[in-house]
Amino acid sequence: MIKFDRFKLKNGLTVLFHKDVTTPLAVVNTLYDVGARDESEEKTGFAHLFEHLMFGGSVNIPDFDAPLQMAGGESNAFTSNDITNYYDVLPAKNIETALWLESDRMLSLAFTPKSLEVQRNVVIEEFKQRYLNQPYGDVWLKLRPLAYKVHPYKWATIGKEIKHIEDATMEDVRGFFKKHYVPSNAILCIAGNFELDTIRSLTEKWFGDIPGGIKPARVLPAEPSQNEYREETIERNVPADAFYYAFKMPERRDEGYYFTDVLSDALGRDKSSRLYISLKKESKLVSEINAYITGSLDNGLLMISGKLNEGVAFEDLDKALWSELEKLKNTAIEEMELHRLMIKIRTAREFQEQGLLNRAMNLCLFELLGDANGVNIEHEIYQSIQPEHLQETAIHLFKKENCSLLKVKSVKHAE
Amino acid sequence: MLNRTTTPSLQQIDKIDFVKPLVFDIAGTTKLFHMKEVPNDTSRLDLYFDAGTARGEKGIASFVNGLLLSGTDTKTSVEINGEIDALGGFFESGISSENAVLSVYALKENLLPILKILVDAIEHLAFQTHEVEEIINDRKQKFKVNMEKVSFLAQREFQSRLFNDSLYGRITDEKDFDLIEIENLKKFHVEHYLQGLQKVVIIGDLPDVEIHSTIELVKKWTVTKNGTYEKDLQNLQGEFHVDKSGAVQSALRIGRILFNKTHEDYHDFIFLNTILGDYFGSRLMSNIREDKGYTYGIGSMLAELHETGYFLIATEVGKDVREATIVEIQKELTRLQEELIENEEIELVRNYLLGQLLKSADGPYSMADLYLSVEPYGLELDFYNQAIESLNLITPKRIQELAKKYLNWEDFTIVSAG
Repeated sequence: MIKFDRFKLKNGLTVLFHKDVTTPLAVVNTLYDVGARDESEEKTGFAHLFEHLMFGGSVNIPDFDAPLQMAGGESNAFTSNDITNYYDVLPAKNIETALWLESDRMLSLAFTPKSLEVQRNVVIEEFKQRYLNQPYGDVWLKLRPLAYKVHPYKWATIGKEIKHIEDATMEDVRGFFKKHYVPSNAILCIAGNFELDTIRSLTEKWFGDIPGGIKPARVLPAEPSQNEYREETIERNVPADAFYYAFKMPERRDEGYYFTDVLSDALGRDKSSRLYISLKKESKLVSEINAYITGSLDNGLLMISGKLNEGVAFEDLDKALWSELEKLKNTAIEEMELHRLMIKIRTAREFQEQGLLNRAMNLCLFELLGDANGVNIEHEIYQSIQPEHLQETAIHLFKKENCSLLKVKSVKHAE
Repeated sequence: MLNRTTTPSLQQIDKIDFVKPLVFDIAGTTKLFHMKEVPNDTSRLDLYFDAGTARGEKGIASFVNGLLLSGTDTKTSVEINGEIDALGGFFESGISSENAVLSVYALKENLLPILKILVDAIEHLAFQTHEVEEIINDRKQKFKVNMEKVSFLAQREFQSRLFNDSLYGRITDEKDFDLIEIENLKKFHVEHYLQGLQKVVIIGDLPDVEIHSTIELVKKWTVTKNGTYEKDLQNLQGEFHVDKSGAVQSALRIGRILFNKTHEDYHDFIFLNTILGDYFGSRLMSNIREDKGYTYGIGSMLAELHETGYFLIATEVGKDVREATIVEIQKELTRLQEELIENEEIELVRNYLLGQLLKSADGPYSMADLYLSVEPYGLELDFYNQAIESLNLITPKRIQELAKKYLNWEDFTIVSAG
């Protein structure tokens, strides 16, 4: 059970406070309700580029990191298709430094041309390092537009192409900040050994006078339900053939999200999972295989991916894979298997909840979904799952017309 | 009116409480360390074996490590993994040049039952032909994939030049995978696992009776003859390049043999290393990422081995700025040798390191790991009090002196790939 208090400042900023008396550290986590899905198709990669700029100094403070390091702390952030999340971890007694820094960059950024130019380059190098200079690195750049035709999930957080990042202008940057980085579009969580009254007065002190702004309305084109099987093959200079099956799944707020999560575990989380046993250990079609969900807030994907053993044809894998999926549709899973999946979920959760930062991030995410207490209810949803829930979900999900398949065909180099 | 231009007043970290785990003798030199103060149901078990990659014939150690749960005469690998999963256990096996570590993460009531499964699996490991063939096949494919990564190519070349002709410098090639023989695997398993247990760690609120059961279960594996570790190593100096056609980035690995925690310059060198490349505001990050935009990240570290250690700078940069990056790295090293550091930078790094130490001591898992990183060197937790003392005493002159002593370009192995 993660306990918390919640209050709202007059400018619309939601504040969550999680008390932990056992640690000398504090976490300040700030979630902004903006991600790559909020970009326009002509200017992708922007939410993430902007995250980099948030470290380039704010209106009253030339450098974000140095004062935090001086206070014994450190900071980082991540951007996804859904959200942008910033966090500071520091000794609890210096909490005010983090609040000073976070509030100033919520108030306004410095917007220096140098910072924009350098971070454009840094992000381009990140693009190369993660997506272009890795075997199979560009798979998600290809898979997203195959699985999504309308919804902005069709581009990756890093952006559709390097050119979009190169073309970002100062005007774009200012506009983005003004629209999305307002208190009413943010959720702040403070965790550590404090009193609620202290947190109330400190947040009022540092964040209270920031103009509230208007929470931008989000109107995203909904992805129509898929009713055709999609397949694409790309040829790459890689050592082995690889496959990426993507099935559309329910959105984060739907209970079907949890059923799908457990289904993916049953298929390919561990070395006792169905696909691992059947396709790797028994029929030796693959060298590796995994199943997982993308965890997206809007309709996401259940993924089954892996690599073929040498000499195995994609068709053989396809046949064997669908036959395993059919089993999940035709026969409810046994209690014993369900129990095995549940205890792993429970164990993983106990470990995750140990971390102060993890708790703070999760509280913010669930608050965004509607109620921070969702973090405590999630556990009950998992434990109440019955075999028939999984079977119904499997019947609904594992249809050819709900599937997009990306194949990476290995072409040998000319040595 | 709120003053937003000056930093709120800071408080120094005056004291950190370090907690030592309980120590139990298993047999010979093998001990069990128990960190009991865990306020929830989680637990972790680590088993350390004298089974690192420097032991045995080239490549053997890593295959035995990967095969530990591959089945006995009465149980298949699927059955063993299924039993561990049914208890909610997460199993990991790791290997370095000097040892192999098996870890289990589980709820505390399941830790001992999982250990029993593990002990049976390892004790009666059968090395079935189909399992051995499967892992060789998988590893070959992984190896080929890795050979497409500039970071892997650079790391491999660096390791071979850094450790030169010592056992730590042995690197595997694809052809080595075909030379693996089951008899050699079996021999290694007996010598380095069944007679190779060096250390056991339990973190979790387990009753003493379970600690004693653990000792009884693994006692038979106590290491009989501790192998020796490489020392007095000398890296091969100079520049080395691995070509990779089609790469859009180059990986750089630059470093030299240095020392570990037992050396008198250790604490102060850590300070110097932090300034140079071990935090977000470091000189390498400030210059090469935040000023030039050549890279997504660059860092430096001191990696420790049992009898020695090495210093390393690592990054991936745009192919067209590889030479420019090397020049800048060199400049930063020279600057540390020629210019005294301002007090403000010293104070910042001091506070940052104190904060990091506070974080490293936060919670039973971190605390246990902190202890485990001094224990192999015969040191105690007082080492960290000395670290704090050194932090408070360090001077610009001392840092310059260490830079002159240890950061000379001509002493380095410089590797690039891409």
